[in-house]
Amino acid sequence: MKYKELSVKEFLDEVKEGNIDLEDFISEVIEEIKRINESFNYFVYISEEQAIAQAENIKKRIKKGENGGRLLGLPISVKDCICCEGIPSRAGSKILEGYIPPFDSTAVRKIKEEGGIIIGKTSQDEFGFGSFCTNVGIGFKIPKNPFDPERSTGGSSGGAAGITASLNYPHIALAESTGGSISCPASFCGCVGLTPTYGRVSRYGLIDFANSLDKIGPIGKRVYDCALLLSVIAGEDNMDQTTIKQGEEDYTKYLKEEKDEVKIGIPKEYFGEGVDERISKLILNVVGSVEGMEYEECSLPYTKYGVPTYYLIALSEASTNLAKFCGMRYGLHLPLKGDFNEYFSNVRSEGLGDEAKRRIILGTFARMKGYRDRYYIKAMKIRTMIINDFKKAFKKYDVLITPTMPILPPKFDELSKLELIQMYMLDLCTNPPNVAGIPHISIPCGKIEGLPIGMQIMADHMEERKVLVVARKFEKELNLSG
Amino acid sequence: MKNKAEEFVIGLEIHLALNTKSKLFCGCSTNISGVEPNSLCCPTCLGLPGSKPRVNKRAIDFGIMVAKALNCEINPRMFFSRKSYFYPDMPKNFQISQYELPLAKGGYLKISEKKIGIRRIQIEEDPGRLIHVGGDITSAEYVLVDYNRSGIPLLEIVTEPDFTSTGEVKEFLSKLSMILQYLGAYDPKKEASMRIDANISMGGGRVEVKNITGFKAVESALSYEIIRQRNIMRRGGKVVRETRHFDPVSNTTRSLRAKEMEEDYGFILDTDLAEVAIDEKWIKDLENKIPELPDERVRRFVEEYKISERNAKVIVYTDKAFADFFEKCCEIYDKPTQVANWMVTDLLKSLNYNKISIDESEVEPEGFVEILKMIDEGKISGRIGKELVKRYVASGKNPREIVEEEDLTVLRGREELEEVVKKVLKENKNAVEDYRKGNKKAIEFLIGKALAKTGGRADPKLLREILLEFLK
Repeated sequence: MKYKELSVKEFLDEVKEGNIDLEDFISEVIEEIKRINESFNYFVYISEEQAIAQAENIKKRIKKGENGGRLLGLPISVKDCICCEGIPSRAGSKILEGYIPPFDSTAVRKIKEEGGIIIGKTSQDEFGFGSFCTNVGIGFKIPKNPFDPERSTGGSSGGAAGITASLNYPHIALAESTGGSISCPASFCGCVGLTPTYGRVSRYGLIDFANSLDKIGPIGKRVYDCALLLSVIAGEDNMDQTTIKQGEEDYTKYLKEEKDEVKIGIPKEYFGEGVDERISKLILNVVGSVEGMEYEECSLPYTKYGVPTYYLIALSEASTNLAKFCGMRYGLHLPLKGDFNEYFSNVRSEGLGDEAKRRIILGTFARMKGYRDRYYIKAMKIRTMIINDFKKAFKKYDVLITPTMPILPPKFDELSKLELIQMYMLDLCTNPPNVAGIPHISIPCGKIEGLPIGMQIMADHMEERKVLVVARKFEKELNLSG
Repeated sequence: MKNKAEEFVIGLEIHLALNTKSKLFCGCSTNISGVEPNSLCCPTCLGLPGSKPRVNKRAIDFGIMVAKALNCEINPRMFFSRKSYFYPDMPKNFQISQYELPLAKGGYLKISEKKIGIRRIQIEEDPGRLIHVGGDITSAEYVLVDYNRSGIPLLEIVTEPDFTSTGEVKEFLSKLSMILQYLGAYDPKKEASMRIDANISMGGGRVEVKNITGFKAVESALSYEIIRQRNIMRRGGKVVRETRHFDPVSNTTRSLRAKEMEEDYGFILDTDLAEVAIDEKWIKDLENKIPELPDERVRRFVEEYKISERNAKVIVYTDKAFADFFEKCCEIYDKPTQVANWMVTDLLKSLNYNKISIDESEVEPEGFVEILKMIDEGKISGRIGKELVKRYVASGKNPREIVEEEDLTVLRGREELEEVVKKVLKENKNAVEDYRKGNKKAIEFLIGKALAKTGGRADPKLLREILLEFLK
């Protein structure tokens, strides 16, 4: 049996038929990701032993005739910030060196229950602090774009998108987005990245960046892959009180739906200043080229507040989340010296990278007495306005379509020349839907200079179905990936 | 003389461990006393990366009941906040507490004839426990941390600075503790279940005293602090704004850190926990569950049992079990005044002497009432009755059995008593002389002497009769 080039769907069918030797298959996949990793740095840890043990287990189950499980035998990579029992989970940071969670995150537990095989932890910006996967933790390597190793994979789920694009074996990545960390790397690496509604998927077991913004979601080669993984990981969870009450849902079944008339809004703020004109043009062309899509320009006036609102809330929350990393109970330890304050400071000085330190300081500032009303509290209020902006638009349109990223995947040396604020501004299309917590997907919609361009499709809260239906329609029409 | 400038006000922040079965944000047990350190912990109360809190509804229930009992206004939307500061006993280096949207605000509790204002009531998690080895907080060689306590639900009650004496503080705390016990929200026997920070403002300076555990320590801490501040003022000094630490061994306070500015805890909402909407129905359901509270019980005791208000207060405010004991006695013995008198004098004295509470002792209503009944029957004297109470509390042995075994019944044999009286008259010639000279009170002295000779067993009435006869 040739495993390469099988789609996820084909692979799962073959496993059910008993046509695949899972141990053999997983060994081959592990060899391949090791090979890729040598030059592209997509994994921070490859869980070879556990993967093979899991494969053996499933093989036995199949022999006994137990071939249930929606992900039976499918390799799944997990972003480093999502806890897997017994596997180092460091959120890409040196400060969590040696932390091996004694529990599975809910998403990973569900994946395992459906027979998915965890192959390793993927690289990311330290704690998710970046959009280009260049802010990796001390001692970690920067992943490289599969289309051009001089360029960024995007971030922060850079490893997840990179391996999804590079691996010619069936696989889906479990990623996470706080302000665009699924969409952005999916766009730069030419993959599909689905960010679910906030509260759709349990965050239990996710090493927090910003609790009111973090969302776990899939990155896959095709819309189907994302819909499949979402079906497995979604659901109310009593271990995470922010999950939304919802029934079991098979998102893949929506992909067969033929929705005749789709009303699309094109928010002009996402096509103006700061956006590469070639990208704007490409997106508009694509939207206009597909039949049955009715579209018109609209306006989301609060868009310009998306980036500052996002950063203020995210960094305020992050600065409290990172306080626990002090070398006392787990993670990096140093020789004891001085009082506890000095020791904590030493550990944090050595264990955290520059961007993490910067974000802790900014976030602490935004919630200090005398400033918190002006920054943190104000951002929380504007967040409501951004949500209302979207709510109004979704009364009229099924979905909104924008570019995912305003630039082509940047070269590393270009990035190093950017001011901090210019870097943050590159999140202008991805921050607003993340701040609002609405579902959105990035799908590849063409290439410029041989580099993939992502198109972002957003819908109202809990309307993943609409996002998927429209995404599938484009995927099929454009014949981008089968 | 009390100088005007030396007047002070006191405000309290009281932390009470809520009597829930499991911790505030996880399923770990709250029964931590005597348990091996760090054995009642899970990823959540250890703050492991990836873990999440989930709120224990029972803690909110208790909070609502307490807020109602303290006449507070309950916030219809409650939210938890993160209070950030670095300290080794805090697993996350932030405490999940409340800030903008606490459970309740603006109530009061009446003590004597004064209302003490309640500023706010909030729910928060307890940090772990630090064990200073080889010294105290400033001199320890090293410190161990036990996270069993981490995540125990605390109710923080913040008062207005309405206290003007330590007596008021004491009365307030014992009343508060009593109310919480009646609500079942608090068990004073649990380890470190009441911790207090006190703010004392004198002459414009504000000093916060931390680490006061239990309301008996409050008196020592406040008394020391008031004298210390007064002495500074008398020497012409100024009381500096600072945080001080109470040392329960030496009963003194010492400076921890100068408090130039308000501490900045950088509060933000804890968005891992959803907003808790507390609607009218929730409150109503709990209000229906609020039992009779101590003040109402005192009133009822006076009305229903016709006992004095003073006795009713002592019985109710000793502790809940003591008041329950009173009612059980009254069920099986129809003389409430008698029961009350004996309870507030002899029984309470013996319990205090043995340093136990009624429910810790083996004293049962049946046995206690038995003593009163034996006195009624004339079987034993009052004096023997008092003796029996003491022995019952100390040994738990049934009083009637003691009486039977040791033959403590009243002596009624006339001949036997006549012998005793003869001896007493012989030994106390002066008193006899006095009596004959017209000092009729001398007979009481002689009765006393005769009683003592019989070990209190003689029937005093009979003794008097015989004496009068002999003295004629």
